[in-house]
Amino acid sequence: MTDTDLMEALVQLQDIDVLLREVKDPEMSSEEERLGFHLDNVETLEKSRRRVASQIDEKLLQTYERMSRRFARVVVPVQGTMCAGCRMSLPTASSRTGFASATVEHCENCGRILYRR
Amino acid sequence: MASIVSATIVPPSLVGLHLRPNLFISELRTKKKPSVLEELANAAAAAGLTRSPEALVDGLRRREALGSTGIGKGIAVPHVRSTLVSERAVLVARSTKGVEFDSLDGEPVHLCFLIVAPPIERDPIYLKLVAEIVRAVRLARTRQKLLEAPGFGPLKTILVEASRD
Repeated sequence: MTDTDLMEALVQLQDIDVLLREVKDPEMSSEEERLGFHLDNVETLEKSRRRVASQIDEKLLQTYERMSRRFARVVVPVQGTMCAGCRMSLPTASSRTGFASATVEHCENCGRILYRR
Repeated sequence: MASIVSATIVPPSLVGLHLRPNLFISELRTKKKPSVLEELANAAAAAGLTRSPEALVDGLRRREALGSTGIGKGIAVPHVRSTLVSERAVLVARSTKGVEFDSLDGEPVHLCFLIVAPPIERDPIYLKLVAEIVRAVRLARTRQKLLEAPGFGPLKTILVEASRD
């Protein structure tokens, strides 16, 4: 898996987690139902999550899971020269962590994983 | 004697704050849900909301798999929060002939309101925006006016007024 593929898998995982949290949040899900949107097939979404998670290096996945207990958004885009998570300007040399299959870049201020495209 | 003039302070419309001319598709080219979602995502990307329309389409498909956002009466409100979306926005798309959207009432969709947002930690506005749109289009006469609006400006005016009713 290339670094790009890995980042895309992480983004996908995070997006699935965001949706899962919304579906499982009693306030959000009841508001959706009240507005006329039905939420079913959560098992299919959980299956997608397992499939995407299986594509990610185990240690990186553990890092993601650990950080997701602290941040709702672990993976954030770089906006200009800024981390979209903490809004701090990024130094020109960034902090990188190597995993078996790829390297990821972290914001030196908040530690979030940076997505560059 | 000084007179007191009362002024009614009109709160800003959430919908009005999120509409832009480059987030308006006057007539959808595609006819079926999968390609409609792609057309919406591509338009969002062209407007600068995301650099990854593919990731946005994936997110929209996942949301639709939980339950169609075609809520009936010709309306669809696909909505998703996605890592690669840069800001909260509303894209309005119309289809005179209607598109197949697997709606709850089985009818084609003529008005589509795509709502996207980044998954920031606390965003009470996101669902309020969805709610405001659903409420704004509840009346058939409003939906008809939106379909007949000659362009973005009049459409926005109709939607903002309806959202305040």
